[in-house]
Amino acid sequence: MHEMSLAQSVIASVLSEADKHEAKKVLKIHLAIGELMQLDKPILVESFKSLLEGPVLGGAELEVTDDKAAFTCQKCSAKWGIEEAKKQLKGVAAELMISEPESKELPLHFLPELYPAFIHCPKCGSSDIFLSDGGVIKITRLVLEKSE
Amino acid sequence: MFQQDQAFTRLKRIRHVILVGSGKGGVGKSFVASALAVTLSKEGFSTALLDIDVHGPSLPSYLDARPPIRSTKEGLEPKAIGKLKTMSVGFFTGDRPAPLKGGEKQALVTQLLAQTNWGRLDYMVVDLPPGTGDELLAAFRLFADNCRLLLVATPSKRALSVVAKLSKLAKQEKVEVVGFVLNMSYLVVGKKKLYVLGKAEPKSVEKVLGAKLLAEIPLEPKVNEEGLLLLLKNNKELAEAFRSLSKGVGARAHS
Repeated sequence: MHEMSLAQSVIASVLSEADKHEAKKVLKIHLAIGELMQLDKPILVESFKSLLEGPVLGGAELEVTDDKAAFTCQKCSAKWGIEEAKKQLKGVAAELMISEPESKELPLHFLPELYPAFIHCPKCGSSDIFLSDGGVIKITRLVLEKSE
Repeated sequence: MFQQDQAFTRLKRIRHVILVGSGKGGVGKSFVASALAVTLSKEGFSTALLDIDVHGPSLPSYLDARPPIRSTKEGLEPKAIGKLKTMSVGFFTGDRPAPLKGGEKQALVTQLLAQTNWGRLDYMVVDLPPGTGDELLAAFRLFADNCRLLLVATPSKRALSVVAKLSKLAKQEKVEVVGFVLNMSYLVVGKKKLYVLGKAEPKSVEKVLGAKLLAEIPLEPKVNEEGLLLLLKNNKELAEAFRSLSKGVGARAHS
C-alpha cells in the first residue's frame, strides 16, 4: 500500500520537473530503490506503471535499479550491507511495527532516516553509523521531450 | 526531493501552523505545545500536534499515546486523542534512542510531515526540540510561509537569554513570532501566588524577546504524575491560562 503512495509522490515530482523544463513528454524515468526500505518491487513497479498515462506520462519507459544499502561505522570503520541489517531488524518489538491492512511493516519502510535507532555496528556495537547509499528512492535520471 | 513536494502538498490543507519552541531545554515546550493543541481541539478547531523532537519525544508521555501506528492508502494515520490528531517520532522508536545526525534529522522531519495523513486542519501545533539546529531549520523551511512561532520562556533570566536567540533567528529567517508564553510563572498555594522562579516583569521580557506576552502559565507540580488531559480538566486556573493562550494565538493567526 505504501508503494502506491510513494509512486504517486514520485510521479508528482516527475511532473513538476517536466513542467519546470517545459517538456511536453516524459520519455524515460530511471529510479534507484533503496534496499533499506524493503519495498515490494513488483508492487512498486505495477504502481508506477498504473500512473504512467495521459499526454505527458503516457508511454514513458520505467527503469528501476536496486540501490544497495552500504553502512559504515564511524567509530571502528566496519562496513556492512542489507543482510546484516535485516538480522538486526528481526529484533524490532511488535508494537513498533506499522499495521497495514494485510501486513505489518518496519518503521524504516516509511521513515528510512530512522535507521540509527534500529541498526548498530555488528563489530563494535556503536550506533554512530552512516548509511552512504540505499536508504531512499531516488530519481536518478529523467529523459524529457522538449516542447517546440 | 519528492518527499518535500509531498510535504508541501499536505501543508496546503493546513490553515495555520504554530511552532512552539524556546531554544532552551526544560522550560516546558512539550507541555505548552500539548496543552495548547488539546485546548484548540476542545474549542472545536480541527487540530493536529506534531512532535519533531527526534532525540527526546515527549508527546507520547504527556498524552499517554502509544504505538502502534496504522497505515492506510492515504498514508500513516495520526494517533487520535479525542479529536486531536497526534504524530511523534516516539511512536516509531518507543524506548530506543535515536542518534540521528544533521541531515538525517532534517530528512526525517520532511518524511514524517509528508507521510502522515493529516487531512484538512485549522491548526497544526509543532513541538520543536531544544536548540537552534537541524529540526528547527527544517521546520522553518518546510512551514516557511504558513507558520508563526510561539516562544516559551520562564521567569529564569538564564532561560530568557537563550529564548532571545531563537527569537532573533526567527526574525532572521523571516518567521513571524506570534508572541511568548511565560511558563512556570507562579505557583498557586491556597489563594496566594508564589513566584518561586522569580517574578518576571512582562514589559521587560517583551523588550528582550521582541514579542508580546500571550499568557502566564502557573507551575503545576502534578505535571509529572497526572496525565495532561486530567490536569486540564481538574486545574481550572491552568485550563483558563491555556484558553487565553489559544485566544491570543488564534486571534492573531486568524487576523
